[in-house]
Amino acid sequence: MKRILFGLLLLLWSSITGCSPSATSATPDTVRIRWARDPENLDPLIANNPSSYEVSTLLHCSLLNISDTGRNIVPWLAAASPQVERLGDSLMLVSYSLRPEATWDNGKPVVAQDVAFTLKMMNCPGLPTEMDQAMFHFIQDIRLDTTDSRRFTLVCTGQSSDYVRNSGDFSILPEYALDPKGSLRSVSIRELRSGAATAYASVTSFVQRYQAAQLAQHPDNLPGCGPYQLKNWQPGRFLTFTRKLKWWGDALAKAPPILRAVPKSITYQIIPDAGTAMLALRRGDIDLYPLMPAAEFARLRRSDADRARLSFYTVDSYECVVANFNTRQPTLQDRFTRQALSALFDVPGLIRATQQGAAYRSASIVSPRVHPYYNDSLPLPTYDTQQAITLLRKAGWREVNGQGWVRKQAGKLLELRLSLSYRAGDPALEAAALQFRAAATAIRIPVDLRPTEASLLVQQLREGTTEVSLRSIGGNPAAYDFTPLFHSNSTSLYNYSGFGTPASDHLIEAIVQTPDTAQKTRLLRRFQRLLYTERPIYVLYFLQYRIAAARRLGRVPVTSIKPSYRANAIDFSPVTK
Amino acid sequence: MGRYLLFRLGRTVLAAWGILSIIFLLTRWAATDIGLQTLQDAPTLGRGLSVGEQTRIAQQVRQRYGLDLPVFYLSVLTSDTDTPAWHPHWHWNGTRNQYHRWLRGVVQGDLGNSYREGTPVTKLLLQALRYTLPLTVSATFLATISTVLLASWVNYYNRWRGLVLAILHGIQALPLFLVALGLLLLLANPDALNWFPAFGLGDDTEQYSSWSEELLQYLRHLVLPVFSLLLVALPGFVVQLDGAMQQELREPYVATARAKGAPPVQVVRKHVLHNALLPVLPLFTELLPSMVTGSVVVEMVYALPGMGRLFVEAAAQQDLPVLLGVVLLVAIARLASQLLADALYQWADPRIRLHI
Repeated sequence: MKRILFGLLLLLWSSITGCSPSATSATPDTVRIRWARDPENLDPLIANNPSSYEVSTLLHCSLLNISDTGRNIVPWLAAASPQVERLGDSLMLVSYSLRPEATWDNGKPVVAQDVAFTLKMMNCPGLPTEMDQAMFHFIQDIRLDTTDSRRFTLVCTGQSSDYVRNSGDFSILPEYALDPKGSLRSVSIRELRSGAATAYASVTSFVQRYQAAQLAQHPDNLPGCGPYQLKNWQPGRFLTFTRKLKWWGDALAKAPPILRAVPKSITYQIIPDAGTAMLALRRGDIDLYPLMPAAEFARLRRSDADRARLSFYTVDSYECVVANFNTRQPTLQDRFTRQALSALFDVPGLIRATQQGAAYRSASIVSPRVHPYYNDSLPLPTYDTQQAITLLRKAGWREVNGQGWVRKQAGKLLELRLSLSYRAGDPALEAAALQFRAAATAIRIPVDLRPTEASLLVQQLREGTTEVSLRSIGGNPAAYDFTPLFHSNSTSLYNYSGFGTPASDHLIEAIVQTPDTAQKTRLLRRFQRLLYTERPIYVLYFLQYRIAAARRLGRVPVTSIKPSYRANAIDFSPVTK
Repeated sequence: MGRYLLFRLGRTVLAAWGILSIIFLLTRWAATDIGLQTLQDAPTLGRGLSVGEQTRIAQQVRQRYGLDLPVFYLSVLTSDTDTPAWHPHWHWNGTRNQYHRWLRGVVQGDLGNSYREGTPVTKLLLQALRYTLPLTVSATFLATISTVLLASWVNYYNRWRGLVLAILHGIQALPLFLVALGLLLLLANPDALNWFPAFGLGDDTEQYSSWSEELLQYLRHLVLPVFSLLLVALPGFVVQLDGAMQQELREPYVATARAKGAPPVQVVRKHVLHNALLPVLPLFTELLPSMVTGSVVVEMVYALPGMGRLFVEAAAQQDLPVLLGVVLLVAIARLASQLLADALYQWADPRIRLHI
């Protein structure tokens, strides 16, 4: 009996271990990409994480897109860059013409009416589209060209050049799929926004139809004009997209990268753990690992075996890690103190230790890669404890018996004692915090480290209860509206430093409003100098995105903006080692 | 027994209601404002929005989730500045409050919708259990069988006892993430033994010729996660059961059985094991809540979308309906495990009488 049992166990074991692992091997023209998290929601109007944005770009097209370098806008569904006309001092007309080749899956052309429908849907009361309303609030109306069904004009309030780019940054959805009778055509965007539209039966029935479609979980109910369709989605495990057999982009003679769709199938594997993902890449279970942690990336690059089967890419991003000084706190109210504290960060050392050297420095919040706008006359701050001491004295602090620093403020004796908050579990931020504390302690400034859970940290930052904090800011090289980050009107929301003077507010508003590039360059450079002097934040470094990919994919098109690659343009062309 | 079970069941329901109510109120008190959070998540950071517009949009989001209502039946009026802190002015909100709506939903089996996904929480829980239960039930089953076999074996072959217990103590000292990662690097690594898949349960690119092949592939994917859980659970159980068996072996009835000529295997299996199970029964019933909650570490390392991962992601992103749904399930499982322990006690020792 024991022998039979043992034999059965052995048989089971050999069957399990001997099962062919080749079943997971990739078929040609298929790309398997690692994602750390599930997109959770595939409704293009509710997309709120990088994974769901990426899905949107496969299933749908917007009017414009950002170029691979991230510095320019490129037409996507639009036939060309929009024409802009400024009216008076507050209105702007942005005119588009759609590509004549663009069609929906049923063969009908993508027309201006679809754009109007999408905008109305975004503003429909009762739909969960508040985020879109926040992003596209400046589009007041849409005027359709009566002579050409593909031409239309967006009426925008505000004349910022950022608005021109933003005006084409939403997925265009098919009217025929969600509103076949055109019930929203008779309602204007203004009426929808005012809430008066709730009185219309057509709007109410449309909202019910939209909710019944359950687009968040069933994107197949909303056919897009993008090159891919969802084949299978197992939440938390994987998503597979297959290329449409007939797609309008194929008819284009010379398609830009954004309109190429080479892989026949794209699978996103959800692997939360970085170590497991690296193993999966080395085993050949996945082909592409974007945003790889620095240490793992360096380890793979050092291995001969891995170099033989993988390609490695780094690309300068516009995401930076900053130290944020809450200027509302009594100890941090003057700029010399903030400058002194900046001198306590050993940035080159941090780049070496936490990013394996794969990051770049900047003297301002604008990336040095954006040449006309970056103020290159600003010197990079250096790690210098002596300079920090000098600046502290300049700020009125005096040392007491080599025990610490004090100064008189509003009739009270104030001690220089700081807390440093950062997101718990982030090794790069933790290293920066520890280095800062060590440097501060050396000149007798006590620093209390506060690793904090992410959402709690955001709450504390918003409420202004932190002192010094470390965080990363996702940048966009095509947008220079600093209102959320530094305007005094935003202190209750995103302006975590609490910084804002009439002069800085005026400068921010002027940058947003000016349509002239030369003037914008001058204003931006002035604003950077102001930030450099006032130091509400200190930019430690800009990150580089790291991507490792199987050589069989060919040269992977990488981008400076997340997700850091273009899956649709991976062409499997051979790469020399 | 029937009256006792009814009483315990009533007490269990009351306890579950109490736990959940406290957690509901705590989460509402400590949660981030979802209205502001939505604006924060917008990729253009609410570009150019006036403060008034921001407030309107944030309020719209709160309304959508019913978070604009008062939290409880009673609230303290804060606008009355003349009222001293020690004598607060209470306001009765009636049934139009968040707690009432939530409780009514729970009673009707509706746990609400996830903030992140818009999906009903019950659906998410069922989806996650589909991945968690095969994992935890297999691990529990194997752990129970292995514990009984190994504990009996070391008590029968006494000379191996010291070595086996030393090894088990060594394994017990290892944290789960180390065991899970160690197994992965040892048995799913192209540089070591590439026997098992590294993550997940396979994808739709895999083609199977028969259901048996599909089943074997499924089992292949489960081996490492189940083995990780088994390795971590086993030492504690074996050590406890072994201790209980050692105590039983010193009892006079064992000497009697031996004197009557019962073979040593029979003494251990038929006499000692049955009595030794009594003190370790709660250990086994404690597995019930673990079976439902899954294992965060194993699900993260092996990329399985089970209950543990659902709970952690809901907590990290403050998805309160999901968080409360998981807590409800855990509370029920924990209280059920206590009920089960009571019932098993009576089964193991009929002398035990359960009464109110």
